[in-house]
Amino acid sequence: MQVRVIADAFDPQAEIAAFAAGRDDAGAMVSFVGICRAKSGDVAVDELRIDHYPGFSEKEIARLAEESARRFDCPDLLVVHRVGVIRPGEAIVLVAALSIHRANAFKAVETLMDTLKTDAPLWKKESGPQGARWIEPRADDHARRAKVEEGLR
Amino acid sequence: MRVTVRLVFLGKFGEMAPMAEIALPDGVRTLNDLKAWVARQEPQLGAAMEATRTRLIVNQCVAHDLSQPVADGDEIAFLPPMSGG
Repeated sequence: MQVRVIADAFDPQAEIAAFAAGRDDAGAMVSFVGICRAKSGDVAVDELRIDHYPGFSEKEIARLAEESARRFDCPDLLVVHRVGVIRPGEAIVLVAALSIHRANAFKAVETLMDTLKTDAPLWKKESGPQGARWIEPRADDHARRAKVEEGLR
Repeated sequence: MRVTVRLVFLGKFGEMAPMAEIALPDGVRTLNDLKAWVARQEPQLGAAMEATRTRLIVNQCVAHDLSQPVADGDEIAFLPPMSGG
C-alpha cells in the first residue's frame, strides 16, 4: 500500500510504471487519473486549490485505501493525491490497484474514488475570472458513496 | 489550572477564523461547549457550521461524541464537508 499526499505536480505514467514494475503476482492493474478541468460547467477555472490537514489527511486516505484493498483482495494499491495549487491539465489524483483478475482491480479503483470524493479530508476551492468557490460533494457523489456502503452490508 | 488548546479550522472554515492557541474560557468543558463558544466568537463561522455538517477532530482522531471533555494540550480541528478525489 502506497499513499502519498504531495504539493508538487507529478507524472501519473511514471508513477504507474514504477508501481507495476516487477509485479508478476498480479494479472491485472487498473488505474484512474483525475485531472483539473479548465471549465467547471460553464465557469472558467484558472486554478484549483486543495487544502489538507497534515497527518490526518494522509492517515484517513490510507484507511480508505486499506478498506478497498482488503474488500477486493488487492495485493497492492497506490494513491497519489495533490494538495496546494493545481493548474488545469494537471493530475489531481492517481489511484491504481493490482489484483489477480481484472474485475477486482476495476472495483477497487472505482470504490476508492467514490469514497475519496466524500470521505478524504481534503477541501477544494476553484478560482477563475468569475470568482472563487469552495466545492462540496454533489448529490451524485453522495449517491455513489451510499452504493459503496450498501455493498458492504 | 489553566487549560490551553489549539484550534484548527480547515477548508472554508479556515477563511472565517484563524488557527489559534487559546486558554479554555470559563464554562467551556466539553467539545459541545467549545463549538458553541467558537460560534459566539466568530458568528460567520457559527452560521456556516450551523448550515453544514461539521466534524470535530481531536488530536487527529474523529470525535464521535461531542459531550467528551476538552483536555489540556488538545488540538481540536473543525472540518467542513470534504471534497477529495
